[in-house]
Amino acid sequence: MLHLGIGGLAFAQPWLLLLLAGLPVLWWLLRVTPPTPRTQWFPAIRLLLGLKPPEETPARTPWWLVLLRLLIAALIVLGLAQPLLNPRTGLTGGGPLVLVIDNGWASARNWENRQSTLDDLLAEAEREDRSVIVLPTAPGPRGEPLASSGLLTAAEARPVAMSIAPRPWPKDRAAAQAALEDMQLPDPANVVWLSDGLEGENAAEFAVRLQELGSLRVLRDAPGGLPRLVAAPETAGVGLMLRARRAATGFEDSAVLIATAEDGRPLARTPVRFATDEQVAEAILELPVELRNQIAQLTIEGEASAGAVMLLDERWRRRPVGLVAEGALEEAQPLLSELYYLGRALEPFTELRQGNLDELFQRDLAVLVLPDSIAALDDSQSRRIGEWVEGGGLLVRFAGPRLAAETDEELLPIRLRRGDRMLGGAMTWDHPARLAPFDASSPFAELRVPNDVLIERQVLAEPSLDLGERTWARLTDGTPLVSAVQRGEGWLVLIHTTANTDWSNLPLSGLFVEMLRRIVRFSQGVTGDNTSERMLPPLETLDGFGRLGPAPPTVLGMDRAALDGGMVGPRHPPGFYGDQDSRRALNLAPTVDRFAAMGTLPPGVTVEQYDASMEFDLKPWLLAAGLALALLDLVISLALRGILRLAPRGAAVGLVLLFVLEAPPSSAQPTDDTFALRASLETHLAYVRTGVPAVDEMSNAGLMGLSRVLNRRTSVETAEPMAIDLNRDELVFFPLIYWPITPQQQDLDPEAARRVNDYMQHGGTILFDLREASIGGNVFSQVSPAVQALRRFTRNIDVPPLAPVPPDHVITKSFYLMNEFPGGYSGGTLWVEVTEGRVNDGVASVIIGGNDWARAWAVTDNGQPMFPVIPGGERQREMAYRFGVNLMMYVLTGNYKADQVHVPFILERLGQ
Amino acid sequence: MAVQRFPLRQRSEQLAATLPPLMVAAERVAITIAQGVHGRRRVGQGETFWQFRRYEPGDRPQIIDWRQSAKTTHVFVRETEWEAAQSVWIWRDTSKSMSWRSSQDWPEKRGRADLLALALMVLLVRGGERVSLYGSGLSPSTGQATLTRMATLVERTGTDGADLPTFEPLPRYAQVVMLGDFLAPIEEIERTVRRFAESGVRGHLLQVLDPAEETLPYGGRVRFEGLQDETPWLLSRVESVRPQYLNRLSSQREGLDTIARANDWSYSSHRTDRPPQTALLALYLALSQRLGN
Repeated sequence: MLHLGIGGLAFAQPWLLLLLAGLPVLWWLLRVTPPTPRTQWFPAIRLLLGLKPPEETPARTPWWLVLLRLLIAALIVLGLAQPLLNPRTGLTGGGPLVLVIDNGWASARNWENRQSTLDDLLAEAEREDRSVIVLPTAPGPRGEPLASSGLLTAAEARPVAMSIAPRPWPKDRAAAQAALEDMQLPDPANVVWLSDGLEGENAAEFAVRLQELGSLRVLRDAPGGLPRLVAAPETAGVGLMLRARRAATGFEDSAVLIATAEDGRPLARTPVRFATDEQVAEAILELPVELRNQIAQLTIEGEASAGAVMLLDERWRRRPVGLVAEGALEEAQPLLSELYYLGRALEPFTELRQGNLDELFQRDLAVLVLPDSIAALDDSQSRRIGEWVEGGGLLVRFAGPRLAAETDEELLPIRLRRGDRMLGGAMTWDHPARLAPFDASSPFAELRVPNDVLIERQVLAEPSLDLGERTWARLTDGTPLVSAVQRGEGWLVLIHTTANTDWSNLPLSGLFVEMLRRIVRFSQGVTGDNTSERMLPPLETLDGFGRLGPAPPTVLGMDRAALDGGMVGPRHPPGFYGDQDSRRALNLAPTVDRFAAMGTLPPGVTVEQYDASMEFDLKPWLLAAGLALALLDLVISLALRGILRLAPRGAAVGLVLLFVLEAPPSSAQPTDDTFALRASLETHLAYVRTGVPAVDEMSNAGLMGLSRVLNRRTSVETAEPMAIDLNRDELVFFPLIYWPITPQQQDLDPEAARRVNDYMQHGGTILFDLREASIGGNVFSQVSPAVQALRRFTRNIDVPPLAPVPPDHVITKSFYLMNEFPGGYSGGTLWVEVTEGRVNDGVASVIIGGNDWARAWAVTDNGQPMFPVIPGGERQREMAYRFGVNLMMYVLTGNYKADQVHVPFILERLGQ
Repeated sequence: MAVQRFPLRQRSEQLAATLPPLMVAAERVAITIAQGVHGRRRVGQGETFWQFRRYEPGDRPQIIDWRQSAKTTHVFVRETEWEAAQSVWIWRDTSKSMSWRSSQDWPEKRGRADLLALALMVLLVRGGERVSLYGSGLSPSTGQATLTRMATLVERTGTDGADLPTFEPLPRYAQVVMLGDFLAPIEEIERTVRRFAESGVRGHLLQVLDPAEETLPYGGRVRFEGLQDETPWLLSRVESVRPQYLNRLSSQREGLDTIARANDWSYSSHRTDRPPQTALLALYLALSQRLGN
């Protein structure tokens, strides 16, 4: 290989360049040989016979033609020498090529780049006949220790290297280093490290180890191309705080986080911005609770890696909490009421509903809060709450004067001693009590207890054997402050003091909010979660590109503690564990602690970026250019000899055609006149040519079928349907244009959009067919490809306001009486322009539906239906034809049929 | 010679059934000429009344118009318009060298010659003369039917005729019109013309040439090939022999002119890129003067 300093150009076969030395000889040969004379027929030749030019200069090939031919020869020689633009740094020495490939989760972004780089490297090794060693740095799916491939030929190494895929777990450079330890190489090797660009544990150390093998080249991503992570979202007030992390700083960046539901529906798109020096970007996503609870995963748009996916399970859902506000007695001082304190504490992290019991139980609840101040519960209400708790609900009760006087023990976790205990009052000898630190087994474990929380009054429990284990929080003197007991599937929780400041100042502290939050989280939520102890089998796991799929057999189950600990590895890839009813998410992102771009590497290491060093082979381009010029030479030669007689303009056109081979065949179309004549001499149904053969054929066959029906049943006489190209054809001749929407269709150019607007304003009607079943509700809020395509086409088109066809619309009675408009599918809504005035005779310019009418109308040449209709039946096909007839009548006669309804009255008046 | 001018469309629909397209084209060309040249408005032998004039001694008594004379005191004679019909033979070159043109922009020489021949026939028939196509063996006649027949003949003639007409005896004082490129050797042309002239036939030569034949617009290395099996001629630089070629061409023309004048014929030349009307007008004027004499 020969490298040239200029512009990174090198020749793979440099010795072929010697042929360039032959060019002067070629020049001489071409100059000497006279061109073939051109032949000219000439009647007056008798007058020419015997004439001789005065001086006999030898005829020469024109210099520019010689130059052209030399250029062709030079191009061919250069092409055969195989010049490479931006060639890879060549392999040095004679040692093997060692490919160290980072294939942890972080390499999934830009994996194509890595693979093409790998491909180029292998091609080079093949050219130079080097042996190759391949070493991935992420452990395999069975967790087996890393091992290099051993010495392979380049051809053998290719399938090995190409089968390496990114893993959804982190790389293990220490293991890779260990695998290198026992590698014995005869010669200094060429080591190429296709890194993921992250520092990891010990990038520099690893590089040093690799350098011991030979020369080291490190490929890394540009800082903007480094992988990003989605961190676990947090509840922030009514919204969800989304966070994304990036490895490199120093520049501004942005990402788009997409929240999708379990079935893949996108629920929200939230852009986040990384400030120049920030590693974390945040944004708050506000969604209605029902939608928020549907979020199953958060992904970074356009980034396919396991780190860019955050799976959400039950833990992130806002629990619906019911606060019973029945017969609240403290209306006079609303700021002191229990409801006010509870509302303020619960609002930020739950979906709080207030009301009486009946209202609350109309919807699913996770937690029910009973303050003390409500009216006493009657039996039926207690029974109902009891059943609900048995079924999995969590009831939180607060103590207070009313409870202290209560005799009913039904909905309490413990038996209460009658009356309440007052501390620090005038008649008592105790000081107000403080809270004891929480037990490790309590749901409140690890919450910090502030010193200034004082409990002045509480209700006391009757001592019993199980009082201790039913206590979640206690005072410093050991009396329970929060007690709880499991009842059936659910829990009863009692806070032994009030929810306002009457008995304690606990509700004023932040601890109150935290405790409530723990309690709410402890609830099962709306779906049950009773998987506390079991081993959770893998349900669905992510692959290296962040795609959720069935768990491979190598994945093991985990228990909840391990899940919470969040070890991610070959045996436990990120994904959902558990069963369909209750599942827990294991995410990669929280386990990534060292997340930074690769630092400086030891001296002597060549660092390159993936994108910058794309090798580009100029050979085919040079040869193609040579071929094109050779064709040009042929044309010129023929023209010089008079065989090809082209007017200069014709020649130019011919050349342009030669070079623009992929030009659409539109230039060979008949002129506008023939089109206009053909379109206007008879009435034609027209459809938009989409460029998708299957769709166009169906449109043609469909309109053919409709034409037959029209000709047979009505006085409308139509000729064969015509295909129109919106970008070229004039539309004014057609009463109706059928436009099947297909995402593959090209955009309209502005001129075409203007023509379509013009057509619609001057009485034309376009039937848009989305060709997909059951478009209900609002057409334009859907996100199906057809709707998106429709939106794309109509971007520059002035679409009037639309409404579903009203029952008394003319189209329902213009020929047949009908109330629905089935096609290939049935049931979709038909949308028409709201025509109020008498513009265009009341004919809508736009009709949009999705029933794929052409499918139902389509017939073969001998009149047989071509496609089945869905759900089926000849009646549906018949109704489809009737819709077509009605539509055509509507389009052609306008409001004439609407006026027909007045005929009886007119006749009656005339009779008088 | 009243010219009826129907709307073109009506006329074309009328004629289309009976007339070949060439005929229509010829009629169209002839009409423009007929407007400019009116008939032989002079006293002569004929049927149509021309004028009364006072009797003069020497007039034959048979031509006195008694009715007119009875109205006045003078004696009037009735004079009729001169209506002497003559016969005109038209010949055009049908050799291969005529079926050529240098550019798509103008017609072949043969096509132009056919058109001129037929247009001339139309004019002559309108003027009451009798015409025939030389070499067709038909005797001269007049009338619309003749025109139709002639048009058919003109169109159906092949492209393998001779350069020059072979002599056939014609009536004395007949006229012959020859259309062709007259690129044959000048001696042959002179021989042919003299042969006609000796038998008392007068005529007109119209040389129809392509612009390329007049200008030799070629350059570079060209091999010229004739259309009538002439030897090909290779010229390395055509532009260098252009003056010589033009000399030869003008001497050919001068020769033709000399021949025509020596035999009391007339000669004119026409290029196919020019409108046919001018050539037809010249031809017709020459002929009508001759006919009128």
